[in-house]
Amino acid sequence: MYENVMKSAERFKARPLGRDQKIGGMKQREDLLFMKVEQEQAVPFITWLKELGGFGHLVLFTAVDFIEQDIFQITYLLHSYEQHHDIVVLVEIDRQKAEMESIHHLWPHAATYQQELFEMFGITFPGSPRLYEDFALEGWQGPPPMRRDFDTKEYSEKTYFPRPGRVTHDPATYMKEQLYPGEAQTW
Amino acid sequence: MSLKDIIAPFSVWKRALEKPYTTRKPLDERPGAPRYRGFHVNKLDVCIGCGTCEEVCQNEAIDMVPVKETRHGDSGLRPRIDYGRCCWCALCVDICPTASLGMSNEYVWVDSDPEVFRFTPGAEGKPWDECELGYRRADGYDLLESKRVEMPMISFEESRKSFTEMVLGYSAEQAKREADRCVACGICIATCPAHMNVPDYIKAIRDDDMAEGLRIVYEANPLPASCGRVCSHACENVCAVKHKGDALSIRWLKRYIIDQIYAHDYQKILKEKAADNGRKVAVIGSGPGGLSAAYYLRMLGYGITVFDANEKAGGMLRYGIPEYRLPYDQIDKDIEYIRQLGVEFRQNTRIGVEIPFQELYHTYDAIFFSTGLRLPYGLDISGEDLPGVISGLDMLEDVTLGKTPDIGKSVVVVGGGNVAMDAARTSLRYHAETTILYRRRIEDMPADEEEIHEAQSEGCVLTTQAIPLRLEKGDTTRLKLFWGKAEMVSEGEGKRPKPVLIEGSEELIECDTVISAIGQSADLTFLPEEIQNKLEFKRGFVVVNDFHQTADAKIFAGGDIANPKRDAISAIANGHSAAKGIDIFLENFAPRD
Amino acid sequence: MVGRQGSTQTAHSPKLPPVVDGVSQYDLYSGKYLKVWQGPQHPGITGNMSLELVTCGDQIVECRTHVGYLHRGFEKLMERRRYIQCFPLVCRICVPEPDFNEYLFAAGVEELAGIEIPERARWLRALTLEMARLTSFLMWIGGQTGAFGMGTIGQWTVTMRDYMLDLFEELSGGRIYHMYIIPGGVRADLPDGYAARVESTLRTIEKVLDDVELAVFHNAVFKMRTKGLGTIDPSLVETYGITGPNARGSGIARDIRKDSPYLVYDQLEFSIITATEGDAFARTWVRYQEMRQSIDLIRQMLRKMPQDGPFFTRLPNVLHWKIPAGQTYLRAECTRGEYGFYMVSDGSEFPRRVCVRGPSYTHAVALMERLSVGCNISDTAGLMVSLHTYPPEIER
Repeated sequence: MYENVMKSAERFKARPLGRDQKIGGMKQREDLLFMKVEQEQAVPFITWLKELGGFGHLVLFTAVDFIEQDIFQITYLLHSYEQHHDIVVLVEIDRQKAEMESIHHLWPHAATYQQELFEMFGITFPGSPRLYEDFALEGWQGPPPMRRDFDTKEYSEKTYFPRPGRVTHDPATYMKEQLYPGEAQTW
Repeated sequence: MSLKDIIAPFSVWKRALEKPYTTRKPLDERPGAPRYRGFHVNKLDVCIGCGTCEEVCQNEAIDMVPVKETRHGDSGLRPRIDYGRCCWCALCVDICPTASLGMSNEYVWVDSDPEVFRFTPGAEGKPWDECELGYRRADGYDLLESKRVEMPMISFEESRKSFTEMVLGYSAEQAKREADRCVACGICIATCPAHMNVPDYIKAIRDDDMAEGLRIVYEANPLPASCGRVCSHACENVCAVKHKGDALSIRWLKRYIIDQIYAHDYQKILKEKAADNGRKVAVIGSGPGGLSAAYYLRMLGYGITVFDANEKAGGMLRYGIPEYRLPYDQIDKDIEYIRQLGVEFRQNTRIGVEIPFQELYHTYDAIFFSTGLRLPYGLDISGEDLPGVISGLDMLEDVTLGKTPDIGKSVVVVGGGNVAMDAARTSLRYHAETTILYRRRIEDMPADEEEIHEAQSEGCVLTTQAIPLRLEKGDTTRLKLFWGKAEMVSEGEGKRPKPVLIEGSEELIECDTVISAIGQSADLTFLPEEIQNKLEFKRGFVVVNDFHQTADAKIFAGGDIANPKRDAISAIANGHSAAKGIDIFLENFAPRD
Repeated sequence: MVGRQGSTQTAHSPKLPPVVDGVSQYDLYSGKYLKVWQGPQHPGITGNMSLELVTCGDQIVECRTHVGYLHRGFEKLMERRRYIQCFPLVCRICVPEPDFNEYLFAAGVEELAGIEIPERARWLRALTLEMARLTSFLMWIGGQTGAFGMGTIGQWTVTMRDYMLDLFEELSGGRIYHMYIIPGGVRADLPDGYAARVESTLRTIEKVLDDVELAVFHNAVFKMRTKGLGTIDPSLVETYGITGPNARGSGIARDIRKDSPYLVYDQLEFSIITATEGDAFARTWVRYQEMRQSIDLIRQMLRKMPQDGPFFTRLPNVLHWKIPAGQTYLRAECTRGEYGFYMVSDGSEFPRRVCVRGPSYTHAVALMERLSVGCNISDTAGLMVSLHTYPPEIER
């Protein structure tokens, strides 16, 4: 299976990660293969995996914000029931031009994922049905909340009122005030 | 569709005759399971207010509020829980280092006032406070490591043969693993006489950022290479993790940071000193107190001259502590950096002999002295002036100077402090059979626990509750030491019991040398009489204020001579605060970051 | 007004408007169609979601699923919590079956950090997962029968569920949110005499299940209403990402416990339960059989698990635990299908991304929208429950 996929993967310039070399710090499981592919090749590669590679089950479709590198990593997780094997297709797209080809023609439920990705990350999928309709966040005014630069804490402090009467003490600072205040005040 | 499909559903009717499963109100009869995660309980006397529960709480439901009196090892704060936020996950119970926090199996509490659902468990008298049932951390499950990473050491068989440093130091992996145990509560900071920022430098080890670690260490301690080896580590006695096992080895982690950085890299890493401000301060004594004052004053831009009677700087660190505990190159590492900053050292210069004190008094803008305790107490028994009776300090100094001490084949060390242990273990290394005589019990010994353990393991014989009676010239050996057994007599609650000689008991040890190491007193002869009269003394200590200023505004003092704690780290702290004091006195002080 | 892209299936009845390019063509203002909201507050809705139905008479022309009534942002919340602090959060993603979240999160962390858990912990985890499946099924069957007016069954089985919750309470200290499976193992060992109490509860449940069988599967009303309702063609299974009993009801023999065994499932004897009709009755039957299977698996586990040994392996200090950078995906077979956690670590103390794959994500939205077209409006609730949809895992 692996050889078969790898042979075709070359056509799509898809690079395996973590099989022989480690992805990040870990060695991947045998039945989980991460493949990195360029944005233009992604949908052709996924189509090939679905139609010919036997990876017909779209398990998960999501994005990860790597704001430091100014990219979104889009993750397509495909499963083959025949081989009990997963291929995770990773595509990096420009965060400033967050647009990706739609795959709703391959799996109808991908439209739901795409609707959610637009809402949560602001990634557009031209042609995807109901893309601009609210999914989970009806009436949401702010920026796409799953982006890393959306600060939930700042938002909640701005939006909600803290419960009055709460005060806490840091043990080290408190002990300084109690046990050696002289030194605390002068230096 | 069969007839059965029509009839079968009527079978539900048979249940009409059964007893219904009804739970009636009130629900008192249905207590929570023994492991139920209900309202919190906290043993206030066991809790040390370390705030680890607050740290682990993902909901910010816990506040630390003052409940008890603050003392060393106990912040006096106790967790207060806001049940409007608590999610009952019990991670606070799991992580509590003292195991004081638990959860009761009470879960029913109805009240119309939402404010009551925010309380300090244990402090507000709730019905479930004494509840034995409820969630506790299970045996076999623990989020914190209670065992210390073992320090590699050379074996006692090897160590007793030479002056090679015994403690080998952590490897990077070991240090990180040990640093990982820290809960970063900061309870130790108050107890450290120098208030070193321990959690932060331990974090630097975890982050593998030695430069940052060095900067944090130098903020409060300019002698870390030495302190990382011989500090009395009061911090470790109050460590929160000690409540569940071994304390963090804070001292050795500090040493690890220093060991990773070459001395010549210090200048690149540490912050630059302030520009010279043209004022001069004299420091008398180059022990830890003097060096610390010299360093911090130099950092503030003062011109510093250190006067010291010995050939090399370092004071007791060099002349009082044997090489196997503190190698000389490590003292040099600390001192050389201070010298590099432009501190002038004038060794072999005794104030009051080579240079009169008054000359310093008039030449310098301020004087700091930390001359330590140099005069050993005598044994105060007959025969103590016989040949073969020496003081521990003299013997240790001789060894540092490279002389072989004349101790013969057998040695008796009298005393129970660190000097006694050092003298005994040094004697062992000169192949003498060594016995330590101590008046009280082993748990009363002022020496560090590990020192006692190592002395015994290396082969020193420890004889406790033994009072020396008299010394005589020996037959086959140089000396005969007669001693009597003591019994411990209670002095009342809270007081240390007193050893009292059991009348008529008398035992004998034959030995070549008796080393007395029962304490030292200050030598103040370098001070002219008028100054001595001006200064205040109390039980042999110079009286100083918070900034180590003496009764003479221009004179500051610190170290063993002004500090009953009598250890290196206290002397360092004294030097630091005297530096602040001098800065204030000379009206140069400005709040700094 | 032009409706959304709808089903590609052929119209059941001439009442349905024509479908052009996958979009139903209807005009709301023609007076022929009526828009009805079912939910978010409606006894025939599972949890907090709503169906926006366009009906023609009592037949559904178009259905749109709306979620967002209980979005709590768990995935976002986890980004600013330490790994251990995510542990109390994840179980809340799914109320009837919190253990799957706990297990998958813990296993994901362990895989990323390279931690092996002790043998006994694997058994204890599997035991709680199977107990959670049984508990969840017991609640579901109440909903399933309730949707067809048979409230009695729900009263029986929810009582049984309560007995299961008692067992969870005894094991973990919590009835609903067990917070038992923690990275590194589990938090406590079985209490003394636990196996016997589990067995006695299982016996009680079995007796009730016998009654349920008589009252449900041999019930003319239930048969009439469920047979032929919401038939899933086997060809749809992959295109719609259908998993679990919904797929097995259509004859697709897929069960993660068997296909990619996790924990101790490779050491247990069981077979995949399937039915061929693919309708609501078949799915109900599959789930009913799986309840019996769960009971059997729990018994097997209690019998086969090692009687002692460690149940937790020491973690690095959880207050500043950095997980090496990496990505992984883990899955498990929950009552509704494939539950999965996709986790991305960037090497810091906080997870970069935790993405939860709930089976209802496809079942309740894309699949429900398709299956409901042509149904009678009175059957939507039953259809929905027969897909065993659960909104919290859609909007994490």
